[in-house]
Amino acid sequence: MPAVQDTIDRVRKIDVDQYKYGFQTEIAMDKAPKGLSEDIIRFISAKKDEPSWMLEWRLEAYRRWVTLDEPKWARVHYPKIDFQDLYYYAAPKSTPGPTSLSDVDPELLRVYEKLGIPLKEQEILAGVQKTDASELEEASDNVYKSGRVAVDAVFDSVSVVTTFKKELAQAGVIFCSISEAIREHPELVKKYLGSVVPTSDNFYATLNSAVFTDGSFVFVPKGVRCPMELSTYFRMNEKNTGQFERTLIIAEEGAYVSYLEGCTAPQRDENQLHAAVVELIALDDAEIKYSTVQNWYPGDAEGKGGIYNFVTKRGDCRGHRSKISWTQVETGSAITWKYPSCILRGDDSSGEFYSIAVSNGYQQVDSGTKMIHLGKNTSSRIISKGIAAGYSQNTYRGQVSAHRKATNARNFTNCDSLLIGDQCGAHTVPYMEAKNATAQFEHEATTSKISEDQKFYVMQRGIPEEEAIALIVNGFVKDVIQQLPMEFAVEAQKLIGISLEGSVG
Amino acid sequence: MNIHTTPQRTPAETALIDAFSDRLSLLPGDGTVMLKRDDAIEAIKSGLPTRRIESWHYTDLRRLLTSVPDFDPAAVAKAIAPVVEGSAVLPVLNGVSSTKLPDIDGIAVQRLSEKLTDGSIAPGLDAYGADDAIGALNTAFVADGYFVDIADGTELDKPIELQNLQAGGQTHVRFSVRVGAGAKAVIVERQAGEGAALVSSVSQLLLEEGADVMWLIVQEQADTATHLAQFKAHLGKDAKLTLFVMNAGGNLVRQEVVVRTTGEGADFTLRGINLLAGDTHTDVTMVLDHAVPHTASTEVIRNVVTGRARGVFQGRINVHQYAQKTNAKMACNTLLLSDDGEFSTKPELEIFADDVVCGHGATVTEIDHSHLFYLMARGIDEKTARGLLVKAFVAEVIEELDDEAIVEALEARLDGWFVAHG
Repeated sequence: MPAVQDTIDRVRKIDVDQYKYGFQTEIAMDKAPKGLSEDIIRFISAKKDEPSWMLEWRLEAYRRWVTLDEPKWARVHYPKIDFQDLYYYAAPKSTPGPTSLSDVDPELLRVYEKLGIPLKEQEILAGVQKTDASELEEASDNVYKSGRVAVDAVFDSVSVVTTFKKELAQAGVIFCSISEAIREHPELVKKYLGSVVPTSDNFYATLNSAVFTDGSFVFVPKGVRCPMELSTYFRMNEKNTGQFERTLIIAEEGAYVSYLEGCTAPQRDENQLHAAVVELIALDDAEIKYSTVQNWYPGDAEGKGGIYNFVTKRGDCRGHRSKISWTQVETGSAITWKYPSCILRGDDSSGEFYSIAVSNGYQQVDSGTKMIHLGKNTSSRIISKGIAAGYSQNTYRGQVSAHRKATNARNFTNCDSLLIGDQCGAHTVPYMEAKNATAQFEHEATTSKISEDQKFYVMQRGIPEEEAIALIVNGFVKDVIQQLPMEFAVEAQKLIGISLEGSVG
Repeated sequence: MNIHTTPQRTPAETALIDAFSDRLSLLPGDGTVMLKRDDAIEAIKSGLPTRRIESWHYTDLRRLLTSVPDFDPAAVAKAIAPVVEGSAVLPVLNGVSSTKLPDIDGIAVQRLSEKLTDGSIAPGLDAYGADDAIGALNTAFVADGYFVDIADGTELDKPIELQNLQAGGQTHVRFSVRVGAGAKAVIVERQAGEGAALVSSVSQLLLEEGADVMWLIVQEQADTATHLAQFKAHLGKDAKLTLFVMNAGGNLVRQEVVVRTTGEGADFTLRGINLLAGDTHTDVTMVLDHAVPHTASTEVIRNVVTGRARGVFQGRINVHQYAQKTNAKMACNTLLLSDDGEFSTKPELEIFADDVVCGHGATVTEIDHSHLFYLMARGIDEKTARGLLVKAFVAEVIEELDDEAIVEALEARLDGWFVAHG
């Protein structure tokens, strides 16, 4: 079945030509010289005031990186990247380590205002600081009702500001830039950094370990439910820079945190490199929800420019009964190479991966997940919806594996894709590896498997089948998107209406 | 990963390269054929595929192929009775075809060694891709086999059985079959033998317009044998092919299935059973190209894994840009019966056309406890109940074949395996 007109129109609305975050801003920048060498790494490390162990860590990664080749297995094609032709450090010139918004370049704040992200909370934040203690208490009671979000804003290489820090600190939650964490909480960083994605993990992760300039750090202590959504907003602004951020989230026993990530970049003819690493650690009974709205500049309609997005994201369900859930809405980037994964190490732990990937123009997406079942009674669930239009290629690549000791591992995978037009491609490459007889893996890639009961229920009320399916699928997608704060979900919301009739495996 | 390395040749690689220079003078072929052999051995010289090569991800041939036996001219393989009684048998014993060719109306049979000597088979010797290690191995060493031509409109009432039997050493065999327009045939490809043999076998099938073929591959090698096989088919307009693959033997087995629909209305069906036991490795890899509009395919693979066996199924369906209205479905179901066994599957879809219906499903599980309970509640002991359920799981695939004699013959093979492996 071909896609219906309604779907085509909706996808067109989020077409590459209409990228609305493509503006660039003139901001005085502090840059390292082009290229990559041990000296540049020393420079970055010095700029960040890092302790010597951190520098050693970076140098070790760099020395390893030099011996590596770029991975070639993904279904993406691009000219060879000249890693010496990039700036590895670019930071807005500003007072060192801005502590409050008043220290931040107003031009920079205007950027975020333009992007419509909740840095506007500067006012709220200011208000909070002035209120007395009782009002503050009331505020924290209402955090969910008011839908407030604490934001860490990363501009090119550095974190410019983090909001709501004080309120979070009251709950015991540490939310700051990773550079600050390296300085202020070295014991935590030392313990957890690189414990999920080791420096030797893969080409881009190794590069990131050597040159990462900033990113977010979240620590939720034992038994604490983080009182608000945390988020990071990444903005790439400077020409010819690579953005390498590193995010580390730790949820101690029984803790809960929901984290959101959004990204945009200006419209440029050159390709820009983004190679991030995200590490999540969930101890016993902890839960981490990680959501991404990825909207890097995808290139123009002819495929010129755009971000190369090579990201390593991995969560480690280290404790028993822990849970990690990845949600991603991928609409941007010229090339996406991204596999948010879960290592289900603790017994009874569970991992989830929900993804909507929309590609248009000449975008190439190769994304999916890995669910590695190591502990007993672990379960995972993968729901992936790919929509390809224009000349784009959209690949789902996912791995589910059960190791010898992973008794009663359960997995359910469902990946559907939809093609709009005959110039694009949709591909599904699932890997299933079972080494335990009690493992139960199911993989399906058909839309007909939507619960017959649900469909019957809806159709019985006079709604035609196609609409019924759309309604059910949208109901599910909505669940995912509603987790995101409004400001982030603008692009994502447009996808809600996209039904998957005419889908192919 | 990705660290620069200069790989050293493994003993198996060295043995193959040495065997080639030793055998060269004995290999039949005209100039073109010999040139293709040279190209093929060059491909082997650059190394056997490793898991870095995507199509060999689960079968690291370089690591798994630990030894290569010498050619054994003294080995004597015995002819065996055909799977279906009354079939016309074309035996290849230890890599040598028979001089006695059957005389059946509408069928022309030639020894492949003759086709190699006169060079007429040369175009078929090309590898289909850079990762075609089995094709390269076979092209380098192939010495015999059969060429069978079934004339237009011929309808065979008895199957033809192509036997490849060995008793150790190395054999490299090729079967090339053309089925004329509107012809109908059942062809059995029998792969069996004893001893620690290295076997490469390539079958090529060309179906002309409206041809209808059922091709059964019955592989029952000794559990010491390395069996590297390839089945390649081109389906013309309205051609219909039902391929049935049964793997029930071998130590290291890779069966590749490469099918391309080149005519509208072509219909391909694959049914496979992998019965895996002992400390063995079995890999079935399929690449299916839907190259033209309005073609259909369905694949169902059922696997039973016992002991320390490792099984692999990789299936890739490519739907080309103009292949609109393709209807492709693939399913791979595995019963993993032992904690030491493992099964890996990779069902891939590559789709470039928008008006298609494609789907795939894959499951790995153990025996359903409620089914077991149902049978045991009726007084059947656990072992028998398990046996019944496992047999039902695979027999379902056989029963779909609409030829009673064949269903019976295959079920007999199945029973034989269950008796041997409990």
